[in-house]
Amino acid sequence: MITLTIDGQKVEVPEGTTVLEAADKINVRIPRLCHHPALKPYGSCRLCVVEVDGFRTMQASCTLPASNNMVVRTDTPALRESREFVLSMLFSERNHFCPFCQVSGGDCELQNSAYDEHMTHWPLQPNWTNYPVDTSHPYYVLDNNRCILCRRCVRACGELVGNFTLAIEERGANNLLIADVGVPLGESTCIKCGTCVQVCPTGALIDRTSAYQGLDKKVDYTPSICIGCSVGCSVNVVTRDNRLVRIEGDFNGAVNGGLMCENGRYVPMTESRQRITQPMLKKNGQLEAVSWDEALKAIADRMQPLLGKGDHSVAAIASTRLPAEALSMFKQLFADGFGSTVVTSVEEGLPTARSTELAQTVGSFEAKLDALKTADAVITVGVDLSRNHQVAGFFAKRIHPNGVPLIVIDPSDNGLDPICDVAIKPEAGQDADVFRALLAAAKGETIADAQLANAAQLIGKAQKPVIVYGKGLIAFNDPQALEAMIEYAKAIGASVIGVKGEANSLVAAQYRLDRPFALNGHQAAFVAIGDDYVTQRLLQRLEKAPFLVAQASYASKLTKMADVVLPVTIWAEQSGHYVNLEGRLQEAVAALQAVDGVRSNVEALRAVAQQVGIETKDNWKEALFQRKSAVEIA
Amino acid sequence: MAKPKISSDWMAGCAGCHMSLLDMDERIIQIAELVDIRSTPITDLKEPDASGVDVGILEGGVNNSANEEVAHKMRARSKILVALGDCAVFGGVPALRNFCGIQEALKRAYIDAESVDESGKIPSDPELATMTKVRALSEVVPVDVFVPGCPPDADVIFYVLAELAQGRKPELKDKLLHWD
Repeated sequence: MITLTIDGQKVEVPEGTTVLEAADKINVRIPRLCHHPALKPYGSCRLCVVEVDGFRTMQASCTLPASNNMVVRTDTPALRESREFVLSMLFSERNHFCPFCQVSGGDCELQNSAYDEHMTHWPLQPNWTNYPVDTSHPYYVLDNNRCILCRRCVRACGELVGNFTLAIEERGANNLLIADVGVPLGESTCIKCGTCVQVCPTGALIDRTSAYQGLDKKVDYTPSICIGCSVGCSVNVVTRDNRLVRIEGDFNGAVNGGLMCENGRYVPMTESRQRITQPMLKKNGQLEAVSWDEALKAIADRMQPLLGKGDHSVAAIASTRLPAEALSMFKQLFADGFGSTVVTSVEEGLPTARSTELAQTVGSFEAKLDALKTADAVITVGVDLSRNHQVAGFFAKRIHPNGVPLIVIDPSDNGLDPICDVAIKPEAGQDADVFRALLAAAKGETIADAQLANAAQLIGKAQKPVIVYGKGLIAFNDPQALEAMIEYAKAIGASVIGVKGEANSLVAAQYRLDRPFALNGHQAAFVAIGDDYVTQRLLQRLEKAPFLVAQASYASKLTKMADVVLPVTIWAEQSGHYVNLEGRLQEAVAALQAVDGVRSNVEALRAVAQQVGIETKDNWKEALFQRKSAVEIA
Repeated sequence: MAKPKISSDWMAGCAGCHMSLLDMDERIIQIAELVDIRSTPITDLKEPDASGVDVGILEGGVNNSANEEVAHKMRARSKILVALGDCAVFGGVPALRNFCGIQEALKRAYIDAESVDESGKIPSDPELATMTKVRALSEVVPVDVFVPGCPPDADVIFYVLAELAQGRKPELKDKLLHWD
C-alpha cells in the first residue's frame, strides 16, 4: 500500500492507483473530461492537472501513478487558472454554443466543468469553422462540431468492444472523428452497440430516439438486466412519464461492465408490433374482446376435462424470455397439474438438452464468462458471436489485438471470420472430427490439414484457453460432438463456456422444458409466448390444435389462430428472475407500469391454474436445483 | 446619495432578455426603488444620458455598424457595462451565421427561403447599416459583468440588478449560472 497526501488529507491506496483514483477515494473531486472509469487513462484533455511537491510542472492526475509520501494539491489559484484556460481552448475550438444543444442543462460534462469553474464567458472567441455532421446511422448522429477530441468513443470502440470502427484523423484543428477510413458511419463497420454514444461527454454523439426527450434530471433510471439473450447484461432502463426513453449499459454491471449490443440497446426501442390489451375469445370464428373472467372460464370449460389425461391433455410451450417465476408456474400447471407429456419451451432444448444431460453424469462442467476476459486463446464453435450473445463476442474480440488467437469453427459464414486467426469450416455436424484432430495434434501427432495444424499450434502455446460453444455444436445429430469437445478441452486445460439460447434458456433446461414440441394426441395447446416472436415452424405445428390458447403481449399470426388470447406484460413491465449463461441468478425489474388490462405472465398462468383447480407453489428457486446444471447456478 | 442610474439597449438579439427582465413581475418595483431607470428600448427615452449612467446593460451581439455605435456609446457613457444574455456574452444564435458567411445567410433568408417567391431580393438600401461578422460584446468593447443565459432567468437578472444597485459586483455561480 501507498500513502499520499491530497489537499492535506492522507489516503492509503494500493500500488498502481492513479492520483485521480486516490482523490476519488476520499471524495476530493478533480475535474476531468477525457477520463472515464471504464476506460484506460488517456491524459488528453489536461483538465485534471494537479500540483505535486517536487514536480516542476502541473501533472495530469488521471495518468500519474500515486507514489509513497506524494503531496498533491488539487485546488490552487494557478490550477484554477490553468483549468479555465483549458476549458476556454476547448470552447473556442468548435461550435460549443449551448442554447440549442441536446445535452445542455446538466448532461454535458464540458458545460458542467465550466460551471464548476464559475465561468461566465469565454475569454477566447470561437474559431468559426464548419465541421461535418454525419446523420447516416440509424441510431445515432455524429456531430463533429460538438466534439472535444477526448477520444472516449474511440477508446470504448476499441478497448471495450474490440470493433475499432471509430478513429481520429488528421492533426491539430483538422482532427475529425471518423468511421473506418472516413466512410459514413451508417455504412461503416459499426455494429451499432452504442457504447460510444453512452460515453460521449458532450453532444457530439447523439442518440436519435432519446435526443431532446429529457435530461438526466427529468428521467427515471431503473437498474435491471437485459433479457435480449442469455448473457444477461446489467442495464439501466431510462423512462419518463411511464414511457421508454432509452436503455443504457451499467458500467458497474458484473456481467457486461457497461457493454450492450444492438439487440439489447436499440432493438427494443424500435418495437412496432401491435399491443394486445384485452383478453379475446373466438366466437363464431371471430376473436372478440371479453373480460378476463370470461376468457378464463372459456379456458377452464375446455381444459378442465383434460386434467390428468396425460398425452391427451394440453400440449404447452413457453418462451424462454419469460421470468423463472412464470416458467415454474407454467411447468407446475401443465406438467404436474395436467400431466401433459409435451411441456416445453420454444427452444425445445436445442441449445441446452445435451449439455444438461452430460452434466447429470459429470456435474457442472462449464466456466464463467470471466474466463473469456482473461483468456490467452479463444475457440468458438457452433455460434456466431457477432450476431448472438454479442457482448460475449466483444470480450473475445477486444483481447484479440493483444495477440490472443481466435479460432472460429463454423460450417456457415461467421461474422468473426474476417478477424479470426483460423476459420475452420467443417461439414455441418462434423465438429467432433475437428476436435479429434485438434486433440491428436495436442498429443503431438502430425495432422495433414494445414488449417487445423495452424490452429493447433496457436492453441498449443496457450495457458488459459477458452472454448465458447453454441447450439450449432450440440443441436446436430452427432451425439459425440460435445464429448469430443470436452475431451479436447480437458487435454489442453481449456475452460468451456456454453452460450445457450434466450434469456432464461438455462432455467427452462432446469425445469425440463427442453424437449421437442409436437401436438400428438393432445386435445388443446397453450402457448405462453409473452413478448417473444413466434416462428413459422411452431405455427405449422399448432395448426391442428383442437383448442388453442395464446398468452401474448403482441398481435401476431399466433393470436389470430388462437381460440383464447390472454394479454400479458412486456419485458419492461414485469419483474422476475433470470439465470444467465454462466449460471448467475439475476433479477429483471419492471421499469414501466403495465398497460391497463394486461397481467404479468406469472399472474396470467396462476389465474388459469386457479380456474382449472390446480394448486401451484412458489418454489421456482428450489426447482432450479432439482437437477444438475451444465454450469453452476448461484 | 442619489440612486444609481441604469440604461439598457438591445442589438443583435431577440429581445428575449428584456422579456425575461419584465418576467421578474412585481420585483421590478423593488428595482425601481433602488435605481433610477433611464433609457431602455421598451420605455420612451432611447439613449443613455450624455452625462453618463452608472450601469449600462446591452442585450444581443454586435453584427453591424449600427450595433457598433450602440455598443461604443453605451460603453462610453456607463461606469459598469453588463453583457446580458448569450448573444451579448458569446454571440449566441445570430453568431451561427459566422459559420456560413454573410452572403450565404442573406441568400438563404431573402431568396431561398420557402416563403419567398421569384421576386425575392437581398435588401441593399444605402441607409442600411453595414453588416459585419457577429461578435460578442466583449470583442468590441471592454465588458465588466457577464450574465449568460438564453435568456437569463428573471431571478438571475433581479440578483444582478440588485447587487449592482447596492454597489456590489454580482457573482454568478451554481443555480444562477447557466448558458442555455
